[in-house]
Amino acid sequence: MPSLQERLDEFKKSFESGAPPYNAPQEAIETMHRATAELKATGIEERALKVGDRVPSFSLFNQDHAQVDSTDLLRQGRFVVSFFRGHW
Amino acid sequence: MELEALQEIYSSVRALGAQIIGITPELERYTRALHKKLNLPFDILTDLHLMVAEQFRLVFTLPDYLRDLYKSFGSTLDRFNDEPEYRLPMPARYVIDEAGIIHAADVNADYTIRAEPSETLEQLRTLSAGGPDQQERRKLKQ
Repeated sequence: MPSLQERLDEFKKSFESGAPPYNAPQEAIETMHRATAELKATGIEERALKVGDRVPSFSLFNQDHAQVDSTDLLRQGRFVVSFFRGHW
Repeated sequence: MELEALQEIYSSVRALGAQIIGITPELERYTRALHKKLNLPFDILTDLHLMVAEQFRLVFTLPDYLRDLYKSFGSTLDRFNDEPEYRLPMPARYVIDEAGIIHAADVNADYTIRAEPSETLEQLRTLSAGGPDQQERRKLKQ
């Protein structure tokens, strides 16, 4: 099975080809590259929480509107958390 | 793709005594649909108005020109996320130990680059084995 990065690269290639189903205009692709480069240049990655930092406590609702607390998660042990932008 | 990839390692993660959670600024009606569509074995939490992502210092505001482009694609963040300012989290994956300390961090301003789930599994394994970090911390405690 292809790795996650291989799958992402494949999608990127297909999107940036400008072909269907995305039909992305070249101008849009350049705009997106520019935005990513500018964001990287702000140094935001270095400011994010990193190894050795303590996680902030949080309490959020899950997909079934049940409350999930970080303290409860930690009581059960270690966990992996993935931040993502959304379904779109 | 990130979620599907995490789904593939889910049973291995559980076997290592850990859990997985996803955090997104999307409203619950969208996380509910996404969760169902992918048939995820782990929770997706709604981080309304990016309060938690802010604490992890992952939040950025889309520049005007990109906001306009996304709008033209039909990706209206004000609707999906109740986010009129068009802020987003950088994609990030963290491994957190039982003391609440970050054991591994993968953060990338380029959303087309992600750490492999196999690396995440490896990081969990070093935690289980009492990796160098933990040994160091134990020494400090003594």
